[in-house]
Amino acid sequence: MNDSQLSDTGAASAAPSMPTPKPAFKRRSKRLKAWFPYLLVAPAVSYLLMITLYPGIYAIVQSFYAVKFGPWNPVGFDNYVRLWGDYQFWGALWNTFIMGAISLSLQCVIALTLAFYAYRDPWVKGWRIIFLVPMLFMPSAVAFLYKLLFLDARVFADVLIRLGLIDGNLAIQSSIWGSRALLILTDVWQWTPFLFIIFVAGLQGQDEEIEEAARLDGATWGKIFWNISLPLMRPVIAVALVIRAIDITTMFANVFIVTKGGPAFGTETISYFIYRTGFKFFNFGYASAASVIMLIITIAVAQLVVKRAFRSGKD
Amino acid sequence: MNKLTKPSRRTFLQNSAALGVTSAIGSGLATPAFAGSHLKDPAMILNDISVSKYVRQDYQDLYKMTGAPLWDPDKDWIRTVDWEKVRKELSGTTVRFAIGAADAESAAEGLVPFEALSGIKVELVPIPDDSFYDKALAEFISGNASFDALQFFSPWLGDFAAPGFLHELDDFAEKWGLPLDDFYDTYRLNYGFFNGKMYGIPFDCDIQMVHVRKSYMEQILGGEVDIVNSVPTYDELIRVSGELNKIEPGVSGVGMMAAPGFWSTYTWEHISAQAGMMLFDNNWEPIFNGDEGMKGIDTILQLAKNANEGLAGAGWPENRAAWLGGQVATNISWQDSGTQAMRPDQSQIVDDFVTIYEPRIAGGRFAPPNIAGSTSCVAASAQNAEGAFLMLGFLTTASIMAMNEANANGVAPGYRSVLTNEELQKVSQPAKVWGDSLDHAWCSPRLPGAFPIEQAIGNEINRAVVGQITGREALDNAAAAVRTIMSENGFYQGNDPVDYAAAEPGLYVGEGKPLPF
Amino acid sequence: MASVRRSKSENLFIRYLILGSWALFCLGPVIWFLSIGFRPRTEIISPQPIYIPTLSLDAWNMIWSDWPMAKYLRNSVAAIFGSVVIDLVLAIPAAYSLSRYAYRGRDDIGFYILSTRMMAPAIVAIPIFFLFRNMGLLDTIWALMLIYAAINLSIVTWIIRSYMMDIPKELEDAARTDGAGDLRILWEIIIPAVLPGIITAAVIAMIFAINEFLFTLLIASTPDAYTMSVALANFTGGSDGLIYNAIALVAFLAFVPVFLVVVAIQKHLSRGLTMGAVKG
Repeated sequence: MNDSQLSDTGAASAAPSMPTPKPAFKRRSKRLKAWFPYLLVAPAVSYLLMITLYPGIYAIVQSFYAVKFGPWNPVGFDNYVRLWGDYQFWGALWNTFIMGAISLSLQCVIALTLAFYAYRDPWVKGWRIIFLVPMLFMPSAVAFLYKLLFLDARVFADVLIRLGLIDGNLAIQSSIWGSRALLILTDVWQWTPFLFIIFVAGLQGQDEEIEEAARLDGATWGKIFWNISLPLMRPVIAVALVIRAIDITTMFANVFIVTKGGPAFGTETISYFIYRTGFKFFNFGYASAASVIMLIITIAVAQLVVKRAFRSGKD
Repeated sequence: MNKLTKPSRRTFLQNSAALGVTSAIGSGLATPAFAGSHLKDPAMILNDISVSKYVRQDYQDLYKMTGAPLWDPDKDWIRTVDWEKVRKELSGTTVRFAIGAADAESAAEGLVPFEALSGIKVELVPIPDDSFYDKALAEFISGNASFDALQFFSPWLGDFAAPGFLHELDDFAEKWGLPLDDFYDTYRLNYGFFNGKMYGIPFDCDIQMVHVRKSYMEQILGGEVDIVNSVPTYDELIRVSGELNKIEPGVSGVGMMAAPGFWSTYTWEHISAQAGMMLFDNNWEPIFNGDEGMKGIDTILQLAKNANEGLAGAGWPENRAAWLGGQVATNISWQDSGTQAMRPDQSQIVDDFVTIYEPRIAGGRFAPPNIAGSTSCVAASAQNAEGAFLMLGFLTTASIMAMNEANANGVAPGYRSVLTNEELQKVSQPAKVWGDSLDHAWCSPRLPGAFPIEQAIGNEINRAVVGQITGREALDNAAAAVRTIMSENGFYQGNDPVDYAAAEPGLYVGEGKPLPF
Repeated sequence: MASVRRSKSENLFIRYLILGSWALFCLGPVIWFLSIGFRPRTEIISPQPIYIPTLSLDAWNMIWSDWPMAKYLRNSVAAIFGSVVIDLVLAIPAAYSLSRYAYRGRDDIGFYILSTRMMAPAIVAIPIFFLFRNMGLLDTIWALMLIYAAINLSIVTWIIRSYMMDIPKELEDAARTDGAGDLRILWEIIIPAVLPGIITAAVIAMIFAINEFLFTLLIASTPDAYTMSVALANFTGGSDGLIYNAIALVAFLAFVPVFLVVVAIQKHLSRGLTMGAVKG
């Protein structure tokens, strides 16, 4: 692989440079050159290793023990076997998946729609600032805001009652899907801007000439978007979604503040399950086993998606 | 009420420190070496620990408080103990006090008078509130805890005492004349003793009660609320809450805590206790899924029909907000619902509510539940156990606890001399009913593993409340889960960590006593 | 590069309907939250919500007088600033390496960096707590800085990398024929060229760092290390229940500086935040 394949410089990339005769001393440092990229990346990687390796190994080791606070009792694969049969664990995986998938899809569709309309608007800067606002609040504060709006102060229910749409109470906390919907809504409100600014930038970065040509051919903006812009944006969308998807699988703060995993474990994400087993039931070995599994799943899934996005970035 | 996190005694302690007490001491406290001669006369310091200095000014004005004590000075330990003797023996020593991090600053201020009285320096060791339990345990296990004294949620007493992490306090209590008899039995036995030995001084003394809104009740009853007879049974509460439901837009018939975790457990224990429920038999086998426990959960399920929508997610903060905000017509919660509702800065229902005597269940007994609370203990590995004990004695003394109640900051006294004090009853609406009820109180045993046990039960009850499973299934699941947790904690193996005979007297103290009404 | 499209023969009504509705959806809760911050506590929860509250500065006074809010602000700023600096120092060389060089294992290294974002905080929290405790770093801003830097390094690296991939080879080649070494190229050419990307990455890192909650809660025990996100916890756990008006004001206190910074770098945000995936 030579250098010209690495950077996306668009159509007009320069031909590889002519080989220049190297002076003698540079031949010696050629070996240094080979190591150079590794050296560049080494500080970052070592730093991350330090911070992630220790807890990672700690968690893996601990998953083979039954630990409360006293001595560590080795139990082999017992924790994993118990997890296999634990309906709460599977429930947590399912909750994370279903809430994450719905939330992510909604965010993606909404962000694309908004980006489609906004990027051609003369006031795009204004829209961007407004849409960015929800993301700039502390997530814990946003969680409290939604808890107040929908649950404690019953504002949403009250508005619906005044509009005559319902006449009783709105079942949110007593309903599993009601609670899930609330968490999804909170996540969508806060994180759609993240996708939005990326999509807008992506659309703005596209070649105007292609669009102009299509317009001259009589295509509507909608058709252009659907047939030209969107396919061109696929890698952008992919990478953005991956980043957001990774964050969603670790959804914790909203669950912790708004629903505490309830009702009946219906909104308990895998992060919360780990927290609860560890910090409320003090089965640290069990919690470690769950987190190891979660790590394996996320890495496996990400491997598939990310490597593909990485590759398409080069195309 | 100390709900899992440390109580926010912030304003109280700041008030207490603000006026005169701090300035008089000066900067001498920062220096390590105390010579007894530098300390002020104890009587002067004690004089400042008074209503006029410690109770919020707006409450003093509101209730026209004269400054008369809300306690009995003869039972107020800080006024009966010999501070000169304390100084002689312990002046110049240091006590390390583990405190919930949110309270660290205000605690420091509140302890200034103690430092002045005793000559003992207090070092605060802040521990994040959210992880207080496991941090404390981790410290204990390390064998070299970084603190000498700590106050914590009393259900955890078993977890800390059973492995021997706590220092016995019987000798100290006797030597320094701690008025243990002034505590109601239920608090003394359950928050203070474990396997027959004393390990804690009761601090935040809780009880759950039933409160009702006067104006709404009078509409239904056609007359004034009679705290004994208006709602004499839970069946009656079900009926009444049904009529009160939607009596006005946004108002529900009853408020309860039914969130996952121990909140649901507490509500269920509260009601089931009236049916006669005991959690365990004398072999520590769970028997709570019997008829009495079933009656309790059935009552909850019936009441749930008249409750506010949020009950399946309501813990103490949510329930408290709903009650004080006027969203529910009756409330099943702690005694502070009856005190805080009096205060105009916190409540929208001032003067429109009353706390009634615990409703009964046919075939059961009168057993108002002593639930949660917190206790003060000394670490077994403490470097200064005696000094720690004295500091805890100061913090839990009758006068300071009475003034906590007056400030409605959620920290509640457990002394007979305080709850029966007329001046205190003027500023604490539930005090009389509360005091009367305590001689019949029900309480759950403090076992190792109590914390996960309470969660396991509550999670199942929450599932039943939401309709995912039946009440029968919930209790049976809970019993199985509890049994597992208990065997993990050393039970059923021939050497139970808790002696049933020792715990039994505290579980129900009302046997054979006449009703207070 | 990106310019404003002209929109002709376009259904403006639909466009403004959609954009306007979402704008309302974004701002509505925010405005209401602001009104919560400036009303007395008794008007927050009631049988029917109070839409026109009475103005009250209770919460404002309380958060400044009862708690060292200035300290929290200061700690937030220090920890975030420090962590962003750490991130930039580590990420820029790494991004350069990932974007401009080909070598064995490059993809795996890149993937590893990205995957560190997947570590669920709940499980690394306890080992990290003990690690920091043994190193004596508990309850210090340094610990917070280290954690925030670790959490955000992946995203900072990837964003900068994508900007770097946009740089035409010619720039580099020209400098190389002039005899410049790699480090000089990095310092004098690449970095200035991706400055907007660096700023963008820094701002995003800042946003995520402010938002961090769990670690901050565990590591910080006293106001010396408390940041704004943990300050929030003060109003949610005591015997006063949930103090919503205080929560709202703290949220706004944390929001305003971030908002101002983002507005300031607005124009950089627009420039090709495409993760290096689009030609142009």
